[in-house]
Amino acid sequence: MRRLLLLILNELKMVRTALPIHLIAVFQPALMYLIMASVLVHPTFEVNITEPTDDAGKRLLEAMYDVGSPDGVPYINPVFLDDNDPIGAGIVTVEEIGDQPTAIYRYGLIDSNIVKNLRNRLTAAALRVWDDSLDGRAVTIIERPWLPHDPTYNLYFGMAMLPMTTFLAASLIGGFLTAQEFEFDTILEYRLSPVSPAVVLTARLVRLVLISWLSAGILLTVIGLLNDVWPASILAVTLILIPIALVGGGIGISAGLLLRSSLPAFVIGLGSAFACWILGAAFGLPAGFSGAYEFVSRFVPNSYAVELLFPLYYDTTIGDSIRPILALTIFSAVALGLAALAYRRRVLTCQE
Amino acid sequence: MESTQPAVQVNSVTRRFGSLTAVNELSFTAQEGEIFGLLGPNGAGKTTAINLITGLLKRHDGAIRILGFDPQTQAREVRRRIGLVPQDTNVYTDLSGTDNLLHHAALYCADLSGIEKHIETMLRLMNLWERHSDPVRTYSGGMKRRLALARALLHDPLVILFDEPTLGVDVQGKHVLWEHIKKQQAQGKTFIVSTNNMEEADTLCDRLVIIDHGKAIAMDTPERLKAALARDVIMLRTTPVIEDPEDLFRGLGVQAATYSQADQLRLEVTNAESIVGELVARATTSHSLDSVRITRPTLDDVFLHHTGRALRE
Repeated sequence: MRRLLLLILNELKMVRTALPIHLIAVFQPALMYLIMASVLVHPTFEVNITEPTDDAGKRLLEAMYDVGSPDGVPYINPVFLDDNDPIGAGIVTVEEIGDQPTAIYRYGLIDSNIVKNLRNRLTAAALRVWDDSLDGRAVTIIERPWLPHDPTYNLYFGMAMLPMTTFLAASLIGGFLTAQEFEFDTILEYRLSPVSPAVVLTARLVRLVLISWLSAGILLTVIGLLNDVWPASILAVTLILIPIALVGGGIGISAGLLLRSSLPAFVIGLGSAFACWILGAAFGLPAGFSGAYEFVSRFVPNSYAVELLFPLYYDTTIGDSIRPILALTIFSAVALGLAALAYRRRVLTCQE
Repeated sequence: MESTQPAVQVNSVTRRFGSLTAVNELSFTAQEGEIFGLLGPNGAGKTTAINLITGLLKRHDGAIRILGFDPQTQAREVRRRIGLVPQDTNVYTDLSGTDNLLHHAALYCADLSGIEKHIETMLRLMNLWERHSDPVRTYSGGMKRRLALARALLHDPLVILFDEPTLGVDVQGKHVLWEHIKKQQAQGKTFIVSTNNMEEADTLCDRLVIIDHGKAIAMDTPERLKAALARDVIMLRTTPVIEDPEDLFRGLGVQAATYSQADQLRLEVTNAESIVGELVARATTSHSLDSVRITRPTLDDVFLHHTGRALRE
C-alpha cells in the first residue's frame, strides 16, 4: 500500500513535467462550455414587431406574451421596432391577405431549424388568438410536461459535457505523458522495475481519475452557476465519471505506449474524447435522433454516462440504471485490458 | 548461492539488427566486486551488450547469467539485483533530485521503510544533498550523472551497469564520479562499465574486454593488455619530416613506424631507453630535432595493435 501511495504521490508531482497539457485538460472544457453557452439557442426568441394598431394585431401580441414553456419560460419576446428601423424587414406585421389578417414574419439568414422554431412559436401564438375567438367552443390544449421542470438547453449541453471533460483529461494526459516517457527515455525506469505492472498502472490511473475529477468539478461548478441547477448527488456524479476516466485513461495510455510519440498520442486522446462526446448523446438523448445515431451511440461509453447523469439533473428517470452501469463496467474493463496488453508489449517484453 | 556465482557471465552472445551483427559471439565473465569494462569505439556494440545483459534486448544466440539468473527468462529476479545507469541520463528534469529518487524507490526498493533517510544518505554520498530540492534541470552534467548513479544504487543492487559513465562530464566531475564508483566497489558492488574513454578504462577498470564490431578482440587487466604489446613508443618530431624511417633507423629494432600527426613520427620499439640515444643521433645527422618523447603503450595502442585503427577513429 505504501508503494502504491508513493507512486500516486510521484505521479501527481509529475504534473510539473507537462504543466500546459494539464492546464488545457483541466480548464479547456469549462471555457469551451462558457463559449458554447453564450452562442447556444436560447428558449426565448426575440421577435421584432411593430406596435399593433388594429385589434387582430393586439390580440396576436397578447398571445405572444402568453406562449411559453410549461414551467413559464417565455418563448417569444416581442421587440417593438420603428417602421423606419433599418432592419425593419425582420419584423412581424399583420397584413390583410385575401381579406384575412395574416401575421408575416420576414427573416434573413437563419437555418431551417430556427425557421421551425419560429414557426412553432408563432403558430402557438396564432393558435391562442384563434382559440380566443372561438368563445365557448375553444380548442383545449392540455400540456403535460415529461420533466418536472424545464431547464434551458444549456443545462443538457453542459451535463453531456461532463463525461467528455472526464474522458478528455484522462486520455489527453494519459497519452501525452506516457509517450513522453519514451521521448525522454524515462520509460527505462519502468522497463527494469521488478514491481508488478498492475501497481504501476493503478497509480497512473488513479492520477488520471483525480485530474479528471478536477476538470469535471470545474465544469460542474460552471454549469451550476450559469444555470442555477445542481445535480441531486455530487457523489453519484463522481462515481458515474470513474469508468469514463478509466476508459479515457486506458485509451490514452495505450496510445502513448503504442505510438511512443507525444503529439500523435495527444491527437488520439483529443480525437477519441471528441468522437465519444459527439456520438455519445452530446446534443440530446439518442432516442430523439436518427436510428443510425441511436445505434452507434450504444457503442460509446458517454451515452451510458449521460443516461445515468440525466436523472440527477432532471429529477426523473429514463430507464433502469443496471444496464448503463454494466455497459460502463465492460467499457472500462476493455480499455484497461488494452492498456495492460500495451504495457506488457512495450514496457515489459524483451525487445525483439 | 549467489556468492558462488560469477556476477555476470556472457557466453557467446550474438545479437543482430537485420544484416548488422551488433554483438558477435561476445564472451566474458565479471566476478563479484569487480569493475569490468567494455572498451570500444562508438558503434562497437557496447550499449547493445549492456541492453542484452539487462534483458532489455533479446539475444539471438548464446547465454547470459546475472548472479545465476537468465535476464530473459528470469527477468524479475535479475531486475531486483541490477542497477542501470544508461548513456543518456534519463531523469525527470522538472522534478527535484529527491523526487527522482523517491520515484525510483517506489519502483525498485523492496523495503520502503525509512526510505527518506536512505535517500538523504545517498544524496549526501554523491555530494548532492545541498541541491536535493532543486529541479534536476538546474544540475550540471556531472551532477546529473551522480544523481543517476545514486538512483541506480538506491535499491542496493549487487550489479551496476554503467553505460559511458562520464560522457559529457567535465574533468573534475569525472574524477569525482570515478571516486564514487571505486567507493561502491569497496562495498562489494560489481560494475560493468562501457566506455570509449581510454583514461576511464585504465583508471577505473580491474579488467576489460576490448570490443570492435561487436566482437571481443582482447580481454585482460589494462596493465596486462598493455604489457602484452611488449613495446614502447617513441614520438619524434623533426624538421624536415623524416620521410624514410625504415631506412634511417634500420637495425635499431623499430617494429612499426607511422605518422600520428603530419609532422610527428611514431615508432614502436621493444625497449625505448636502450635505443633512443642512437635513434636521436641518426635523426640529427640529416634533420633538425624538434622534440622526442617516450611513451608507454596505452589502451589506444592495444586497440591499434589489434585492429589497425585508433580507438578515437
